This record gives sequence, structure tokens and C-alpha cells, in this order.
Amino acid sequence: MRRLQELGRIIVGILREIADENAYARHLTAHGVTHSAAEWRRFSEHRMRAKYARAKCC
Amino acid sequence: MKTFFGYALWGVVSVLAALALSVVALQRDEPVNSLWIVVAAVCVYAIGYRFYAKFIAAKVMALDDRRATPAERLRNSHDFEPTNKWIVFGHHFAAIAGPGPLVGPTLAAQFGYLPGTMWLIFGAVLGGCVQDFTALFASMRRDGKSLGQMAREEIGPIGGFTALLTVLLIMIILLAVIALVVVNALRGSPWGAFTILATMPIAIFMGLYLRYWRPGQVLEVSLIGFVLVLLSIFGGQAVSQSPTLAPWFDYSAMTLAVGIIIYGFAASALPVWLLLAPRDYLSTFVKLGVVILLGVGVLLIRPQLELPALTRFVDGTGPIFAGKVFPFCFITIACGAISGFHSLIASGTTPKLISRETHAVPIGYGAMALESYVGIMALIAACALQPGVFFAVNSPAGVVGATPEAAVATISGWGYPVTVAEMNTLASQVGEETLMARTGGAPSLALGMAHIFSQVGGVDRFIGFWYHFAIMFEALFILTILDAGTRVGRFMLQDLLGSIYKPLGRTSWMPGVIGTSLAIVLAWGYFLIQGVRDPLGGINSLWPLFGIANQLLAAVALSVVTTILIKMHRWKYMWVTAVPTAWLVTVTYTASYYKIFSPDPYLGFLAQANQLQRALEAGTIPAARIAATRAQIFNNQLDAVVCGVFVVLVTLILVDSLRIWTKILFGGVGARVGESPFVMTQLRPEEI
Repeated sequence: MRRLQELGRIIVGILREIADENAYARHLTAHGVTHSAAEWRRFSEHRMRAKYARAKCC
Repeated sequence: MKTFFGYALWGVVSVLAALALSVVALQRDEPVNSLWIVVAAVCVYAIGYRFYAKFIAAKVMALDDRRATPAERLRNSHDFEPTNKWIVFGHHFAAIAGPGPLVGPTLAAQFGYLPGTMWLIFGAVLGGCVQDFTALFASMRRDGKSLGQMAREEIGPIGGFTALLTVLLIMIILLAVIALVVVNALRGSPWGAFTILATMPIAIFMGLYLRYWRPGQVLEVSLIGFVLVLLSIFGGQAVSQSPTLAPWFDYSAMTLAVGIIIYGFAASALPVWLLLAPRDYLSTFVKLGVVILLGVGVLLIRPQLELPALTRFVDGTGPIFAGKVFPFCFITIACGAISGFHSLIASGTTPKLISRETHAVPIGYGAMALESYVGIMALIAACALQPGVFFAVNSPAGVVGATPEAAVATISGWGYPVTVAEMNTLASQVGEETLMARTGGAPSLALGMAHIFSQVGGVDRFIGFWYHFAIMFEALFILTILDAGTRVGRFMLQDLLGSIYKPLGRTSWMPGVIGTSLAIVLAWGYFLIQGVRDPLGGINSLWPLFGIANQLLAAVALSVVTTILIKMHRWKYMWVTAVPTAWLVTVTYTASYYKIFSPDPYLGFLAQANQLQRALEAGTIPAARIAATRAQIFNNQLDAVVCGVFVVLVTLILVDSLRIWTKILFGGVGARVGESPFVMTQLRPEEI
């Protein structure tokens, strides 16, 4: 059961990492701010600028 | 006791690998079940991972878990963050898996299942995984620097500049060829065209939802987007069956090509959050889901391989693309065996997330082995089709004949029987007007996948849904790559032009942004139109060009890593990266030579240009075709020049690398390694 829980935690972790939700949570913690629409926009603009300056794989 | 069981286990895995490989390679009398390929691949990956990857980690790179990684030293909660290794693995795999490992093996099935299978398995274990792993290691030891930066610092400014130019050119060919795959999949298909068009408002809705209604809820909106996309597939079916609506979504190849070019320009000018980012999230999740579904489907159905181990086309006379099995199988399958593009990902986000150096083994080596397995799945899906059907779908009309009757007669004459009635029934089952001459690999892959998925559900009448689901899935991430690639190409071009005229380098100067975006779109758009107009289907000339370029990039990445190994005084292990480099150089240079200079007009660009020129001079070309023929002559000459430029650029980098290697190995010159200094890790186990 514990192993299944661990597997589930990893799968959710992967999905949240791909969805940038983990990165957003880290951003909130690092800057000591709470979630808001403006904060998400600030974060996602910075994140996307970096993300889409790199080639996507074929 | 533990050691004994360890030896016994690996002994069993090795025997199983040998047995499965023997069946795949030697059985000729009766059809082979795809499970043998799966067993062979999994066992070889396991052996490669357990022994070769561990050897490289311990001896060649001397990974050291006491050493703080950039994720720890430069931790900024944005790009640099120590992350769980399996989460980084999933993230890295999602980033490297694109359409390449699906389309390449499908096209290479023209040679039969054997060459592609062997190259996918051994190319990955000895080449692709090694490239990804070592590039990741090199970047990790250099604070997450990109391949271009490492080339500049380790080889020199010429290497760095040439690497940037090479990537830009490769990107242009890549964008053209994948756009052509979408065009060929959607032409004359109201169902497919409606579904793909519907993904655009869906993505925009997702963008608005994320920005204004539920900011930050990416997983939630992706789920909503996925449900909407599924509904759009059913909507597409209704549209295709409506005599009023269907003509609105029935487009010719040229209309689609022009539409995609306009879309590419417009999409690259839109804010990223509105279209690109939400569709990227959606396509990544769909991609992972489909890969898992395909893996499970193949294991459950275990389809029989209908294509032979080797077809008659190993001699170079294949209808899908010209050229013998060597070297063309090895450049047709790039992603899945070895892909230069992966080195850009391995020196991008991933090294900034790794918390322990040894995590690079599963992330660098393991993720590539998994991508190779995706290629194996695609190959099985394609080879599960009847050979006649496979060639009828993938062969251009210019090769097999313009009418269905002529095409099936030609294909049946090759010994792969197929009838017009059979093709019509299949087309009607998947809700298409025709499946003949749908070159590019995507439709035949979709057909193979639909065949497997519909059998898993046990309901054959859903084959049309699965076919269009597979087409939607391929087109969705190809359009994302087009959009993102145009932006990246623009940044690269601005980077290059900024040194000539400074404002052009500024990403905030609108004339520069519009001008460079337009230049990139027109560049790949030109090759796309060329592919659409090509009577031989376009794939015959563009896919090999892309394969050569991608493999040459891999040669560049491996030569950068070899330089680093030599500088680290690990020259006795330089064969680990030097041997795959030598193989890639042999394959790509041979393929380039054939593509440029072969006297066979079906294979050589210049020979085809000369043949057309002679026909023009002899007056055998009808007046209506003269302008098109002139354009075809020019395009062939241009393709030859592009191919030549790739080779020259990579030769420059290789010669520059050899110069450095010789200086260090024989000239007694001291090597300066560009590694960041050793810092002892302070990470606690619970932080990893």
C-alpha cells in the first residue's frame, strides 16, 4: 500500500512538474507571497519566456 | 547469496535477450509475433542500463554524489531546484519525446521490421542514450550551460558559432518536414481538419481560463481541454458526414500548407500564454497518455508482424524514400535511436533540476531508452499492417501511379497484394474518402495505432475514432513544435543578426521581431511548399535532409563531449563517445554524398535536377508544366546546397575538435577544463 502511495505521489509530482504547478509553488515559497492572479501571471510570464526561448524536441 | 542471485538474474536476462534477438533476426518461415521484439528491446535496454550506463557513470564520468549539483549551488526556486529524480525523469522524457520516434520508424518500415528494430535497440543503447547521458553530465558540471555555450568554451568561437548556425538550419528543415506530415495527414480529410482547427479555440479558451478565471490550475484546465478535444473528434465525425459542413473543412494540400504558414507566423506573434503554452501543456499530457496506451495496447494485443523482416526495398528502390538500407535506415530513424536535438534538451532545463550526480543515469540514459521503446512501439504498429496496405498508404502517386487501380497494381506487382476494394473499405471504416498516397508516416501510424486500440476495446467500430484520435495527437504536438520552433528560430536569427546591426538583436524592437519571424516562417514555408509540389511526395527529399541534419547535430554534441573527456584526462575512455561519433560521421557523410551526387535521379538531388533540365531542353515537358519543372530543378539544386552546407558546417566543428584533441594528446598542451569548482553537497536526504 505504501509503495502504491509512493507511486501515486511520484505520478502526481511528474504531472505537476510538467504543468509548472510545482515550479509555481516553489516561486510562492521563495518569494514569501501567496497565490493570486497577478502573482501567477508574473510567474508564468517569466517561466514561459525562458521555456520558449529553447528549441522543442522533434 | 545476493551476488549469486544477481548473476543468475542477469544471466537469464542475457539468455532471453539472445533468444528474442535470434527469433527477430533469423525467423523467416512464419510471421513473427511482436512480443519477441518487445522482449528483445526490454532485455537489451536493461543490460545496457545495468552494465554500460553504470560503467560510464563510474569509470568514464566518475559521477560523485558528494559534489553539489547546479540545482543545489545555484538554487533560485525558478530554474535551479533540486528535484526528485523520477519527477525529473518524467519531465525530461516529456521534453525529448516528439513526433520523430513515431514517424521515423514508420517510414523505415519500408525496409522491413528487422533493420529498424536493430538500429532502434542498439543505436539507442550504444549511441543515443550515451549522447543524452554524457551531454547531461557535461552541462551539469558546467552550471547547466547549453550545447552552444559548451562548444564555444571547450572547442572555440568557430565551434560555438557553427553550432548555432547548424541548429538554426536544422530547425528550418525540421519545421518544414513536420508541417508536411500534418498537411499530408489532413488533406481531403474534413474529420481531421475540423478536429485540428477545433484545438485552436480550445487552446485559447484554456489560455484565458488560466489567465483570468482559474490562474495556476494547469492540471485542471488540461483535463477540461482534453475532454473538449475528445468531443471535437466526435464533432469532426459529424462534420465529415454532413453534406453541408464537410466541404467547408475539405482542403487541398496547398491550401493546408498556406494555412499552416500563415498560422505559424500569427501564432508566433501571439502572446505565449494565449495559445502556445496551454496547447503545449495539453499536447504533452496527451503525448504521455498515448505512449502509455500504445505500450499497454501492444502488450495486450501482441500483434503479429505482417511486414517481412526484410523487404525487397533494402536495395534502395523503395517507394517511400530512395536509398539503400545503409545508410538510409540510420538517418530515417534519428529520434528513437540517436537524436542530436536531445543534446539541446539535456543541456537545457534538466541539468538545473538534478539533485544528485548519479541521478543522471536514469534521467539521461534511462529516458532515452524509454524513447527508443516508443520508437519500437511505433515500428510494431506500422508493421502490424498488411504490407500492401502499408505501401498503398505511404507511397506517393508519382511513384506508384495516380489512380488507385494503377497504384494497387504496382504495389501488388512488388509482391505485396492489395486491392482497391480493400483500401476503400479501410478508408470508409476510418471515415476518410481515401487512404491512398497519404505520405508522411502519420496516417499509416494512426492506422496501425487505431488497429491496436480498437482491438483492446474489443469494438472494431471505434476504429474511426481511434484513427482520428491518433491523427489529432500527432498534429497537436507538431503544431506546438511549429509555433515554439518559429519563436526559437527567430531568437537565434536575432542573435546572429544582432552582431551585424544591433537593433535586430533586441527582442523588444518590433520591426526586428516581425522581420525575423517572417524570415523564419518563409524559410520553412518555402521547403514546405516545395514538399507539397514535389511529385514524389516531398518526404523523399525532406525527411532524409532532416535525418542527416539531426544526426550531424548528434555528431557535434558527441564531439563536444569527447573534447571534454580528453580535457578531463579520460582519454582512454574517449571511445565511448568517439565511436558513435565516427559511426554518425560515416552514416551522414555517406547519405549526404548519395543525396547530392548519386547518378540515380530518384535518389540524387543533382541527378534529378539534371534529368529534368534535359527533359526541358528536349521539349518533352508539356507547356503547362514548364514553370513547375523549372521550380523543381531549382529546389533540387537548393536541397543539394543545403545538404552540402550541413556537411561543411559539421566538418568545421569536427576539424576544430580534432585540432584540440591532437594538441592535448600529442602536443603536450595543458588542458583547461571548464567545470565549475567542487563544492560539497549540503542537501539532506529528505530534500532529494
